[in-house]
Amino acid sequence: MTDRRRINGPVGATIPLVFEDVEDYEQVATKAARSRAPNAVRKMYLKTGVTPSASGSAYLEIETSGKGGVSGLKLSCTVYGPRSLPRSSPFSPHIILSTHVKYAPFATKQRRGYLRDPAERDLGSHLEAALRGAIIADRWPKSGVDIIVSIIEGDQDRETSKTQGDEAWDIMNALSGCITVASAALADAGIDCVDTVAGGVAALVRDTADSSPSIVVDPIPSEHEKILASCCVAYLPTRNEVTNLWYKGDLPASDMELYTKLVEKGIQASTNANRVLLECLGETVN
Amino acid sequence: MASTQHALLSPAELAYLHAALSLTPPIRPDGRSPAQFRPLVAETGILPGTNGSARICFADGTEAIVGVKAEVERTRGGYEGEIVEGGGAEEVVTDVNDEEKKGESDWVEMTVEIPGLRDDDATTAFLGAMISEALLADGGFSRRLWINRRFHWKLYLDILLISPPLSYPLPLLSLTTHLALLATRLPRLKSEGDEDPFFDDDWAAARYLYPRNKKDGKTTARPPVTLLVMAVGNNIIFDPAKEELAVADVALAVSIGEDATTAATATGDDASLMMDVDSTTAAAAITSARNLRLLSIRTIDPPSRLTPSGVPNATNTAYGAATTQKQPEARTAEAEAVEGVWRAPRGGAKPLVMAALVHKVLEKGGIADEVLDALHAVDLG
Repeated sequence: MTDRRRINGPVGATIPLVFEDVEDYEQVATKAARSRAPNAVRKMYLKTGVTPSASGSAYLEIETSGKGGVSGLKLSCTVYGPRSLPRSSPFSPHIILSTHVKYAPFATKQRRGYLRDPAERDLGSHLEAALRGAIIADRWPKSGVDIIVSIIEGDQDRETSKTQGDEAWDIMNALSGCITVASAALADAGIDCVDTVAGGVAALVRDTADSSPSIVVDPIPSEHEKILASCCVAYLPTRNEVTNLWYKGDLPASDMELYTKLVEKGIQASTNANRVLLECLGETVN
Repeated sequence: MASTQHALLSPAELAYLHAALSLTPPIRPDGRSPAQFRPLVAETGILPGTNGSARICFADGTEAIVGVKAEVERTRGGYEGEIVEGGGAEEVVTDVNDEEKKGESDWVEMTVEIPGLRDDDATTAFLGAMISEALLADGGFSRRLWINRRFHWKLYLDILLISPPLSYPLPLLSLTTHLALLATRLPRLKSEGDEDPFFDDDWAAARYLYPRNKKDGKTTARPPVTLLVMAVGNNIIFDPAKEELAVADVALAVSIGEDATTAATATGDDASLMMDVDSTTAAAAITSARNLRLLSIRTIDPPSRLTPSGVPNATNTAYGAATTQKQPEARTAEAEAVEGVWRAPRGGAKPLVMAALVHKVLEKGGIADEVLDALHAVDLG
């Protein structure tokens, strides 16, 4: 017996028609091009002392590219310590750094879990390498310091499709932000450093399929057709020293000039970030 | 990341090592020349249950095994594949040009296991990320895993260090992975176009992931290798042992690959044909200069920063220095550098030093060429 009380739909399933919105289509087709000069970094906002309960803290925000639906980079860093190590741990003549970098679950296009994944652990070890060179570690024997960076917004373009944006390149920008904000938080906590360390990113990009590649500072991956190589540098300006260098890409080994230029531009981006860092610390002192 | 557990060396030993390695030419504890690798024993195809495997044993007793397993997986979000399915099954696209074969980085899964370290240890994550980063750098590798528009191979690379980590295991793991990938074979595809893949049962007919020349059995394209290089004073030292790394001023891991343009990239049915045609030109390309590619560079946090500093006699109370200050630690930290007394390095490395390290790896007839030549000589069975 069929159900006669209700009006049932036809037996065969149909698929509703979906019309592609012309405007949306065009917007995706014409990608946002880089509006800054190749040497210009994005504006950033840095403030220390945002978390009263921590010994040191800082907040960093890097502006969006100006297009709707694109989030900038928002980082918050807290530093706990220096504090004494637990009795069970072996003697250490230096301060023991432990760095945690965690994307908030909502920071990226794809949701991240609460546990740190290998990429986040990897970021943590990069950050540790960058900071360890800056800290004067032998002033605090038998003690430890925890540096926790949370990435609240991960600088990713929602509009670009999955195939277009490659997350592997975004991580470089995140690392450079992490280094800058952690350095500010360390200074806020009063931990002695040889210099303030800041991160900078430079990339070799190709804007159209047939144009020649060029080097830009502080790249946004979604603004470029293809990123050929990218490097993130942590730099101590007064000592002219690099504490961490991370290069990734594909360059011919015969062309060392290109690589050297890339690192130079990375150092330049880092010095720019350092200027903001110094100004921010100066404000806190006054 | 502390790149190894502490090498238990006293400040006096560290100062001695540093002085010996800073000489010109440097004197290394094991008597090698600055650019000499530790001797090693390598074999491939040791695990019959895998698609490819390799084992390398270094002279210092560290040993690693790599097993490669492949599975067929449906390509996620097969956008193009769905069009083909919806557009009618008769339309079978057979000629797919190389540009269209696009791989994704999550087609390769890599795990590193090091005895004595927890799975979630930062060192393990760092090593795994470094090796996979080099492999996926140019997108050429994941393209090899392409079957058709709807399916791809998913490659599981399991890297096992089976000895305790006596030295920083990066070069060992990278070289073993390199050989395992060279030995990796995937079953021959029988189906055509975008059909559900169907493979040849005959393992003898399986194709190499990196196709080889018929003539001499050597491959043209090769997976990347990662080399460890460090600087002490004015010297550049390759493949440092644990004690040498303990006094390093700066240590870099440099990944290099060979240019894929000189080699055929196809893995499908036409691979052997192409190899026949190309074999003469490809062999010529090998004998002439190879085109190296710089794929990735990472700074290794040198364990020297975690070593205890020595106390110079001038401030040592045992040698009659006055005990005026209350905090002995603070005093040693601010003391002037005294020759022959070890001090843990502070700060980073000059950009020029880093550039020199990279240049030394990549220069013509340099260490990269030497390592790749040596790997060419390994019998792949």
